[in-house]
Amino acid sequence: MQKYEKLEKIGEGTYGTVFKAKNKDNQEIVALKRVRLDDDDEGVPSSALREICLLKELRHRNIVHLHDILHSDKKLTLVFEYCDQDLKKYFDSCNGEIDADVVKSFMYQLLKGLAFCHSHHVLHRDLKPQNLLINKNGELKLADFGLARAFGIPVRCYSAEVVTLWYRPPDVLFGAKVYTTSIDMWSAGCIFAEMANAGRPLFPGNDVDDQLKRIFKLLGTPTEESWPGITKLPDYKAYPIYPVTTPLSSVVPTLPPKGRDLLQHLLVCNPSLRMSAEESLAQNYFADLNATKAL
Amino acid sequence: MAGNFWQSSHCNQWVLDNQCLLKNRQQDLAFLSEEEYQKVHIFYASVIQAIGEQLNVRQQVIATATIYFKRVYSRYSLKSIDPLLLGPTCLFLAAKVEESGLITNSKLQVACQSVVKKFAYAFKSQEFRYKPNQILECEFYLLELLDCCLIVYHPYRPLIQYVTDLGQEEQLLPLAWKIVNDSLRTDVCLLYPPYLIALACLHMACVISQKDTKHWFAELNVDLDKVLEITQQILKLYDLWKNYDEREEIAGILEKVPKPQLTPPGGAKTTEG
Repeated sequence: MQKYEKLEKIGEGTYGTVFKAKNKDNQEIVALKRVRLDDDDEGVPSSALREICLLKELRHRNIVHLHDILHSDKKLTLVFEYCDQDLKKYFDSCNGEIDADVVKSFMYQLLKGLAFCHSHHVLHRDLKPQNLLINKNGELKLADFGLARAFGIPVRCYSAEVVTLWYRPPDVLFGAKVYTTSIDMWSAGCIFAEMANAGRPLFPGNDVDDQLKRIFKLLGTPTEESWPGITKLPDYKAYPIYPVTTPLSSVVPTLPPKGRDLLQHLLVCNPSLRMSAEESLAQNYFADLNATKAL
Repeated sequence: MAGNFWQSSHCNQWVLDNQCLLKNRQQDLAFLSEEEYQKVHIFYASVIQAIGEQLNVRQQVIATATIYFKRVYSRYSLKSIDPLLLGPTCLFLAAKVEESGLITNSKLQVACQSVVKKFAYAFKSQEFRYKPNQILECEFYLLELLDCCLIVYHPYRPLIQYVTDLGQEEQLLPLAWKIVNDSLRTDVCLLYPPYLIALACLHMACVISQKDTKHWFAELNVDLDKVLEITQQILKLYDLWKNYDEREEIAGILEKVPKPQLTPPGGAKTTEG
């Protein structure tokens, strides 16, 4: 621990406080995430273990890098690469305006990180702007793999903060227990629209019911026909059949047609029809990036 | 998580070299013969298996716990930590990592108590003396000793793939699976990648069932010398088992195992010298 000088508190993570700190040996700025070990029965919290397990195995430029794990005084501290801000703070700083190239670049990086996770059979399950870190070089990194678990997504984390529903797909809202990579693709779609609108969330629901209504009002209410099996989901209940009246072009007016096309493929209620990260990256929208960034 | 073995910490950090393994073992081999050392590990693998079965955890959790246990002693002497404390702690950690649900400390205590009684012929004390806080403290050190490499790959998944490809699943799979379980009582899980262990166990199952699979193995394009090495280690285990009465011998062997003088700072004294 003596190796790091704490600079300031950045925030509260899923399982402990996060500090900005400086490595005294090389002046590198890092983020320290202290793991609480105060639970008498659980020992090292499962959420921290999950994050350690995954980040120890997953190395990618679009996934936050775990430099080190410190063991001292019966405390566990995870040392992460430091990123200046998260996407939510980035939105706050852009005053309702965002460059179209930035939107494309962030979306591309988000999909790259997801494609890597998914190719390793890892789901993030809790994507939201707060979990996407942005460093000063404009690099986007997926972070906070701690909250999500294999069975059921908790509704509250330890600080009793309610987990947002805004990025949850309809299948999860209807109580689906089997998660596939499609869960992350829905969230990616919501975040894509939010980026295009410089930080205005697409579906800011207040509760599960309101969340589903907002989704169906935009995309149309799914039926057994468009989504076989929907009525069998554990928490399924019937919603009015909303007709699709709003074209995507008026929802995300600044997004070019090719971008809208991608968005349309992500915001699909039936999870089996949602586009994958790999397919999304091959969309025309990214043609110019793929050409220049091909390594 | 079923990521990619070739990019994993298991592949990069934990497929060990036999020379290195023997070197780290020298300290213990001053007190125990090589065979006795193996008997200690066979015994504790059974203890971990029994506690896991009491707790009704999946075989995958038991296998992961056993590998954690073996990884620790692949680097450190038996005297650095009492195996009877480390074993249950490995299960406690593995259950969380495998997302198989938390083993509560109270359940773990009950299971350990009953397993110590089950193996009464081995232990001087008929009580499991470690308290929940010592398990939690040990978990903390275990994480450090493992260098936080918690994802372990097992031969089960590749085994299923190979058997499916070979056909004759219903005959071969149960036997090969059992041999994989037995292989946890040898060093092979520390020395070879899981897919090679799967192949060796499958090959043994084929030989036992008198299936001619030479052609299939020849087409595999893997290092068959390594498969043979693994087979030999497992056969050595079966050989050892044939002439070994654990009930008679193990108490005497455990007596010779070097013991920890003190638990790490902060813990209660757990052994009498």
